[in-house]
Amino acid sequence: MPTLTKEIVPGLVATGASCRIDEDVAPNFGIGDAVEIRNINPVTHTRLPRYVRGKKGTVERDHGVFAFPDTSAHGKGETPQHVYSVKFSFQELWGEDYADNMFLYIDMFDDYMRASS
Amino acid sequence: MAHDHDHPHNKPLSDTELRVKALESILLEKELIDAEAIDLVVETYETKIGPRNGARVVAKAWTDADYKSRLLENATDAIAELGFSGVQGEDMLVVENTDDVHNIVVCTLCSCYPWPTLGLPPVWYKAAPYRAKVVKDPRGVLDEFGVALPEDTEIRVWDSNAELRYLVLPKRPDGTDDMSEEQLADIVTRDSMIGTGLVSAP
Repeated sequence: MPTLTKEIVPGLVATGASCRIDEDVAPNFGIGDAVEIRNINPVTHTRLPRYVRGKKGTVERDHGVFAFPDTSAHGKGETPQHVYSVKFSFQELWGEDYADNMFLYIDMFDDYMRASS
Repeated sequence: MAHDHDHPHNKPLSDTELRVKALESILLEKELIDAEAIDLVVETYETKIGPRNGARVVAKAWTDADYKSRLLENATDAIAELGFSGVQGEDMLVVENTDDVHNIVVCTLCSCYPWPTLGLPPVWYKAAPYRAKVVKDPRGVLDEFGVALPEDTEIRVWDSNAELRYLVLPKRPDGTDDMSEEQLADIVTRDSMIGTGLVSAP
């Protein structure tokens, strides 16, 4: 691995390193699809917070194809897949006594979701 | 005692300070980084990159309708037009506050934050109380920040848990029609671009 030197810093700061992957992967879901977040409990790195597991939401936006941190963080490959903005009502997340004009948007990978009826 | 002033000379380092020092030593010993590179990263985020960048994006969006539509359509490219891009801003999304909708950004898993436009996150943004509470009681959090919104304002909380980073386009306050883009940039606050604040006219 090369040493991070002073000379590399400005370029690194200015360009960054997107986890977006330029690969043609078919999306599992479309905008407006009803989805259910899988109730899985990975013991290693994940971007799936516990509070949305098992909850039902709607796909609002397709962000494109990204590396999947649950595998890439462990050197197990990028597993490229679509990431979506998924919308949940607070009533679904926290209970029916919440106001009906409060929503949570979170970015979900294909492997976190299944179709919901 | 000859030494009778009250500041501690040898206060033990906190766990976090010790951990950072240990990590830094290992990275230096393994020649993965050099000390000047660390200094330059720190200096860059202390003096060059911060919320004034985001304020310029907001002020331009308030005064240039075409820019605003580009910003809402493809935030990464529109923000790069002003020269702001790079680490933790590779894939940006801008969400717009209106009379009917208020947006708030959080990273419940850690502290993800749009560095090129806002710099490094404030301590409260990284702290568990904000991260845990804002996804469950955003109005309570807003109240702690002194922000009260009408009951019929829709609240949208954005959890930046994955690779997208979010910037809130705050509402332009009334009574600012005569202000220039530069003057408007001066009144845009960091918190208004996270969603925990509103912008007020001067």
